[in-house]
Amino acid sequence: MKKPARLTFLITAVLAVFVFLLAETIVVKIKTTSVRRDPKFTSPAVAAIKAGDTVEKLEARDGWVKVKTKAGVVGWLHSTAVEVKKLDLLAMDKNMKTQASSSEVALAAKGFNQQVEDKYRAGNAAANFAAVDAMEKVKPTAAEVEAFMKEGKLGEFGGSR
Amino acid sequence: MTARAKALVSIAVAVSLSFSGCQAVKQGAADIIASTGKVSREDAQAIVKTAEVLRSTFAEITEEEEYYIGRATAALILSKYKPYGDKALNGYINVMGTAIAYNSDRPETYGGYHFLVLDTDEVNAMAAPGGFIFVTKGLIRRCGDEETLAAILAHEIGHVAERHGLQSIKKSRLIDAFKVLGSEASRQFNSEELAKVTGIFEGVLGDVVETLVERGYDRKFEYEADKLGITFAFRTGYSPNGLAEFLKNMEENQPSGPAAGWFKTHPSPADRLARVKPEIAALGAAPAKLGVRTARFAQAVKNLH
Repeated sequence: MKKPARLTFLITAVLAVFVFLLAETIVVKIKTTSVRRDPKFTSPAVAAIKAGDTVEKLEARDGWVKVKTKAGVVGWLHSTAVEVKKLDLLAMDKNMKTQASSSEVALAAKGFNQQVEDKYRAGNAAANFAAVDAMEKVKPTAAEVEAFMKEGKLGEFGGSR
Repeated sequence: MTARAKALVSIAVAVSLSFSGCQAVKQGAADIIASTGKVSREDAQAIVKTAEVLRSTFAEITEEEEYYIGRATAALILSKYKPYGDKALNGYINVMGTAIAYNSDRPETYGGYHFLVLDTDEVNAMAAPGGFIFVTKGLIRRCGDEETLAAILAHEIGHVAERHGLQSIKKSRLIDAFKVLGSEASRQFNSEELAKVTGIFEGVLGDVVETLVERGYDRKFEYEADKLGITFAFRTGYSPNGLAEFLKNMEENQPSGPAAGWFKTHPSPADRLARVKPEIAALGAAPAKLGVRTARFAQAVKNLH
């Protein structure tokens, strides 16, 4: 009795895992971004969200995903903020023979993080990270971009197309 | 739990994880397996670990890692070139570049897009992984209007969208990294591991910077970025002729002496021009250039001349 029952249980457990994983819970992969009221970048932000946050996927349309945050706020995120694009570096060069499997590359890539940057900075004073930090601080708001597009009659403000 | 059952669950979880690939889900899977009470928590973790190794057959450099490679690449570019201190001009290219990024195939990157004018007469534009985009004073001087500069920014966004910078990394470095890390994907290294991984990181940066600054991308990436740039600029509402006009200017005004900067790292303007013309024609009716855009461009670049 034991064995088949156990196997049945295991199969059920496995199926449960499947269902869990197929549930429409998605993870934000962008450092910080906004959930927007409508599916466009110039739409007002309704919630702030950061890498690792999970949201419930409600609907997908034209490159945008309608989501519900843990706080219950409903809005839109661009699909590139939540979907993982696979890049198999070893597959890029079809002629290259290598011993490494693509899984090895993925594991290798796990290494580059803040700890590695700190160590690198300590040994490379010439690398101008201060200028990079300043560069990152310049970030136009969606309202500024919208005003720029409106003034220049770009995108939806065009009409000359 | 029998070995056979364990293997069965491992495979199933591995397949499941292949479709997901996030830490929270992995932990969730381990919790679910363990919560049944039929499998010990230790076994559950082991199963998920096995699954994780299998999952990563879909190799990827995560966006966060791309960001760190991009930051350090940008830091090295900024050790060679100084930022140009014109805040108004810098603000102008950032708002324009962001508008184009919004209309690209990859509007969101881990740290977002950032644009910077470099204080050099050399003609050049570069995109570090993740969205750190540089254009030189020398290049902006070669642009006659907003459409032309938009075409350059759109081309660079094309490189970022397709992750061309990461593809210059020598495969052997990633294999070396694997040798250091073994099968454990760690977030916190001990000092010996850290030294080794940092060494590999330096090698990776060497590959990327050499490609961006010295050697140039493979031609096929430049053609691809041209094609994407035309599309992104067009979607934003710009005339796609901007790129053709820039290339024509570059072809007609090539500097004498050994090729440097843009001329060294890019295929010949004539070659690119021949390829982009049919792409532009295929878009059909193009948006017209507008005086209001040309006027604000002239205002933004007034200190350059």
